Amino acid sequence: MNELKIVGKSIKKIDAKDKVDGTAVYPQDIYLENMAFGVTIRSTRPHAYIKVDTKEAEKIDGVIKVFTYKDVPGKNHHGVVLKDHEVFASKKVRRIGDPIAFIVAETKEIAEYAKNFVKVEYEEIPAVFDPEEAMKEESPKVHDRDNVFYHFKIRRGDVERAFLECDVIVENVYKVPMVDHAFLQPEAGVAYLDEDGRVVVIASTQYPHFDQEEIAESLGVNKDMVRVLTPAVGGAFGGREDITVQIHLAIAALTLKRPVKTIYSREESFLAHSKRHAMKMYYKTGALKDGTLLALEAKIIGDSGAYASWAMNVLRKAAVHATGPYYIPNVKVDSFAVYTNNPFTGAMRGFGATQVPIAYEQQIDILAEKLGLTPIEIRLKNCFREGSETSTGQILEGFIPLERCIEELKSF
Amino acid sequence: MKKRGKGIACIFYGTGYGNGFPDVSRAYARLLKDGKVEISVGATEVGQGAKTVMVQIAAETLGLSDKDIVLINEDTSKTPDAGTAAASRQTYNTGNAVKIACENLREKILDEAVKLLGVNTKVGLHIKDGLIHVKSYPSRNVSLKEIAENNKELKAEGIFTAQTTQMDENGQGAPYWPYTFASCAVEVEVDTETGEVKILRAKHVLDVGRAVNPTLVEGQIDGGFAMGVGYALMEDIGLKEGRMTNGSFEKSIIPTSLDIPEIEKVLIEYP
Repeated sequence: MNELKIVGKSIKKIDAKDKVDGTAVYPQDIYLENMAFGVTIRSTRPHAYIKVDTKEAEKIDGVIKVFTYKDVPGKNHHGVVLKDHEVFASKKVRRIGDPIAFIVAETKEIAEYAKNFVKVEYEEIPAVFDPEEAMKEESPKVHDRDNVFYHFKIRRGDVERAFLECDVIVENVYKVPMVDHAFLQPEAGVAYLDEDGRVVVIASTQYPHFDQEEIAESLGVNKDMVRVLTPAVGGAFGGREDITVQIHLAIAALTLKRPVKTIYSREESFLAHSKRHAMKMYYKTGALKDGTLLALEAKIIGDSGAYASWAMNVLRKAAVHATGPYYIPNVKVDSFAVYTNNPFTGAMRGFGATQVPIAYEQQIDILAEKLGLTPIEIRLKNCFREGSETSTGQILEGFIPLERCIEELKSF
Repeated sequence: MKKRGKGIACIFYGTGYGNGFPDVSRAYARLLKDGKVEISVGATEVGQGAKTVMVQIAAETLGLSDKDIVLINEDTSKTPDAGTAAASRQTYNTGNAVKIACENLREKILDEAVKLLGVNTKVGLHIKDGLIHVKSYPSRNVSLKEIAENNKELKAEGIFTAQTTQMDENGQGAPYWPYTFASCAVEVEVDTETGEVKILRAKHVLDVGRAVNPTLVEGQIDGGFAMGVGYALMEDIGLKEGRMTNGSFEKSIIPTSLDIPEIEKVLIEYP
């Protein structure tokens, strides 16, 4: 291999200085001439039919327009996989925090004041918050379909027979809660029309080209008519995969033909973006006396909250990683993504591969204790090496240095 | 009473979208009139260092300094789609797209250099510090700036698609490639009366492939470790009937630098 000159060198991060001295431009920092300000009205109930009356709010001096689902020029939906989010709730809210209306006013203060005059009438309906309850046939339905919208299976070997051969079996249930990405910069954005009549949306996002498609679909325009600019982004960790401010701003700017800005508070940011999937993980792991892992049976239930976002991919990734980095010849895994009336969950650093280690690593430590092995010994005995087969039958080739990673911990 | 204990954990992690999902990154490379090279790519800088590593990869491929690369990654009307800045995919996927775009541009630049240098082949030509030399006769050279001035526009595209195979109904297949591996050890002190946990020290060993920028990799380890500490010991949005009882930083406690010990980091690199 040729000697590398720049790759492998810790050159200074190109955007570091601007971020340290405060000159980096975040969407919050952008002010355009004749810019109006928008605030979002959000559901305060987890599951309810709604009626919205914006008349009183629109009479307030300085309020330009209150946008609702009726004002969406294109499709009133978005979503990274399933288009199950509404841009504005039309008939029903499915979680606390669902956007219902967007008030655009001359100033932030007027828009905030006008919030008190948008009347939302809620007719509450039975809600479901526990995914296992939601899996039952008789449970309230979050969408017009079964709450279980994804079931992924791994079947390898024969777990039933293998458990009979195991000298020790450990069975436990692990629960992990929803958590927030807690990125530093709450959502904010500005939208305006450029000289070519295109809608320009300046927003902190992780995937500008996908946002462009979703914005265009809700505006009912060709995607070339939408431009997404991403100035400095104050962290993301998956929490900026789904749409938050983008479509509301684009609709307002296109309709009003003037720049519109919005900035979420930290509290609104918590309401607006996804969370890490809470999971309940049923684990049964069996090994031989010498510590050789023989069988794993796992059931993983992921709380998707009110919307799917990336749940299918996250629950699939959780299942694929459910064995941990260990060779287990007999594996049965079932993972489920379930709608509830909780906050919606989506991408967050690790994407399903973060939850399962809480289970598989505690299982292996408990097995080690029962078998009189050290945590290092049992891991070295079972860890993936070059040529190992994963639970999906994938043969690991190339550089598989897990053994070395574990050996490195011996000196700790 | 305070008690101390050590623990270890290992993980593996599949990079990219996975499961046969089209995982495509695109990049453009263009020779500018001043001899610098513009890279346009839709990879978002979310703090992970995309701007820096894309520049490093481009500079390395073209034999230029990082100062000679102009990166554009902030405007969908100027950049091709490079997929999402997630799934640990930008350095690997989009980095490869940038590399391919630069290799393609390099060939075009060398084709032009052949004409300007009056040599019979581009074999044996190499780019160093903005000059294209005949390797065995370095005084015969032409600058990128001269090549740019002599040509309307030299540009190239790079497309990279990650390898991934969809799984069947039994969950069999090769959903991710590559996988990465890691191990971690911590020593903690637990107050048995209050339940308070203090992390005394930690070691993190990570299979990183080739670290394009080791300091940035270490920064990712620090940040990831802190997020893990929050997940394991502190954070919960506290759901009650669909409502977050910890829906702000008043109650949703995240770690600060005071909660995180110095982490001994080992990067395992290959090749």
